[in-house]
Amino acid sequence: MKKIWKFLGSMQFAIILLVILAAACAGGSFIPQGLSPEQYAAQYSERVAGLIVGLRLDDVFHAWWFLVLTAFLCGNLLLCNLIRLPQLIRRTRAAADPGKLGTPSVHAEGVRDFNALLAKLRMPKAVEGSDGEGRPVRYSVQNRIGLWGAWVCHLGILLLILGFTLGQMTKEEYTVYGVPGETKRIAEQDYAVRINDFRVDRQENGFVQQYTSDLTILELSGGEQAAAIDTQASVNHPGSAFGFKIYQNAMGDAAKLSVRKDGETLQESYLCVGDALQIMGTPLYLQLQSILPDYETGADGHTRSGFAYLIYVGDEFYTMSVRAEGEQIADFKPYEVFFSEPCSYTLLQIKRDRFTPLALVGGVVTLLGLLLAFYLQTRKLWARREEDGTWTVFGSSPKGGALFADRVKDAVEQLKNQS
Amino acid sequence: MNTLLNVENILFYAVICLYFLAMIGYFLFIGLKKERLAKAAAIVQTVGLLLHTAALICRGIGAGRLPMTNQYEFATSFAWGLCLVSLVFIAKFKFPVIGAFAAPVILLLIGYAAMQSKEVKDLMPSLRSSWLGFHVSTAIIAYGSFGVSFVLGIIFLLREKMKDKGFWDQHVPSREKLDLISYRSVCLGLLFLTFTIISGAIWAEQAWGSYWSWDPKETWSLVTWLIYAVYLHLRIRRGWKGKTAAVFAVVGFICVMFTYVGVNTFLPGIHSYA
Repeated sequence: MKKIWKFLGSMQFAIILLVILAAACAGGSFIPQGLSPEQYAAQYSERVAGLIVGLRLDDVFHAWWFLVLTAFLCGNLLLCNLIRLPQLIRRTRAAADPGKLGTPSVHAEGVRDFNALLAKLRMPKAVEGSDGEGRPVRYSVQNRIGLWGAWVCHLGILLLILGFTLGQMTKEEYTVYGVPGETKRIAEQDYAVRINDFRVDRQENGFVQQYTSDLTILELSGGEQAAAIDTQASVNHPGSAFGFKIYQNAMGDAAKLSVRKDGETLQESYLCVGDALQIMGTPLYLQLQSILPDYETGADGHTRSGFAYLIYVGDEFYTMSVRAEGEQIADFKPYEVFFSEPCSYTLLQIKRDRFTPLALVGGVVTLLGLLLAFYLQTRKLWARREEDGTWTVFGSSPKGGALFADRVKDAVEQLKNQS
Repeated sequence: MNTLLNVENILFYAVICLYFLAMIGYFLFIGLKKERLAKAAAIVQTVGLLLHTAALICRGIGAGRLPMTNQYEFATSFAWGLCLVSLVFIAKFKFPVIGAFAAPVILLLIGYAAMQSKEVKDLMPSLRSSWLGFHVSTAIIAYGSFGVSFVLGIIFLLREKMKDKGFWDQHVPSREKLDLISYRSVCLGLLFLTFTIISGAIWAEQAWGSYWSWDPKETWSLVTWLIYAVYLHLRIRRGWKGKTAAVFAVVGFICVMFTYVGVNTFLPGIHSYA
């Protein structure tokens, strides 16, 4: 049992997991995700499609085996950090103990001024002490904290995965769209969005610069407004209210649909392109297909937009056509049905993910760990005084190796030349 | 605006000529074994880098934004990043042979840039973010560093096969030091790649409402990160240091190139403009 735990927390297992996860991610990017078995069969073959669906390669990043691999990676990181913690504390203490200087990888003789050498190498001043054999030494240790780099990095990755996973499991995500003046309920929540304004800022050449929605988020209680917060959402600048973040996601065309009978308005609402609405008192559904600007020029010289639409009887397609602004659609007689006031609708993504800050902290801790591990490498130099008054210098740097030895040698040479 | 873009165009082709001359200089240094040629090549490369910087500044001012938003701009910036990091490593480790192996890669990148459309297009709203500069510039340094580790990996693998031992011993560090220098470049690259991924995630959260969407570009950045994480772990394990790590440094850069070119060509996603 101990062997299994040891293996699960080992670096060997970490390497295996990292390679498999890298391969799985690469595979998931090559195989189109989220298609139906029929679509896979059309794209590849029946057999390959069966394999893709059976192994959940159609949704790699949510497949049970991918989640198991990620869980194993988390377990490995956790065990590795737990196993290494006492060793790390011991190593950090030992690094400052002249009695436990270890095997040197640097050796230089005839150094006249050890402190000058340390200054040249930008290392802390030397302290007096005695080595493991009781001989007096001067020693200097730099960047002990660097020993913690990998440990901190592992902790950061753990927090990152935890934040991401918890976020995926608990996040609430809704889509709301509408035109200015409309109030839309956020799914079945006790909240609603009132769209006060929607602007499309353009450059002089007509290219879109920014989409902005001015909103009021309403908290409802028993269907009545209990509280309201004004906010603004534009691309790259989400709004926020009641713990939700509101993202300016997309926009599209919409138009007002009016249903009248004998001059009396029976139904009036905005219809977004792609949406369908049942016309009251009929079994017919009217779907707005697209809006054609400058569709026709009237006798007064003004241009009018055209509205392409489809009519369904239940699910069955019935007919399609185009009508100008205000022009009646004859299929609904005796009702007067027509489109007018072409405008833009705003599409908002509303999200609440309480674990995003945890993932962000994880990312920052990972970065900190990498900085510690890569750029605060632990270095030790110690020196023994010889009878002729010079110092014999020893040193070690687990990550600097031969390059640290070269730096010390160069510094020693430079000091000798100076004197 | 057009004048600056014309200047940028002239500078761009001057830079290609200078990088080509630098490459010839490095090759002659190896062929004729004259150290002066290496110094001359490094000077030509440095002048090329300065003109390259001027070209990028001209484009930035001419376009009225950071020149990091399409295939042409990223390719030329990537070549700039590799040139910069290779010169830093040449100077820091007194190791001009890096230039001989890095120069062809730089030329390939800038040649790829030359084949792309140079048209200055307006930025879509999602790209109008203060994160753009940080996200892309960290990617340029990361990719440049991985380019150098790739070059060092190749030199490591070729080191023992070189016939003229005297020249190689004099101008190329030992395999142990090569491994350490390669490690340094991977560290720099991985640190900056992590900055790239995290800044990209923060930006994506603001622009798209999701900090991670498994978009092909995101996924391949993660694959590259995982490959270099494997490299770092392999180096710690006894017996894997050296040749195996050098192979992983080479494989890692292939992933980098796939993330940059391959993903855009074969796996379109929400990063399709990059």
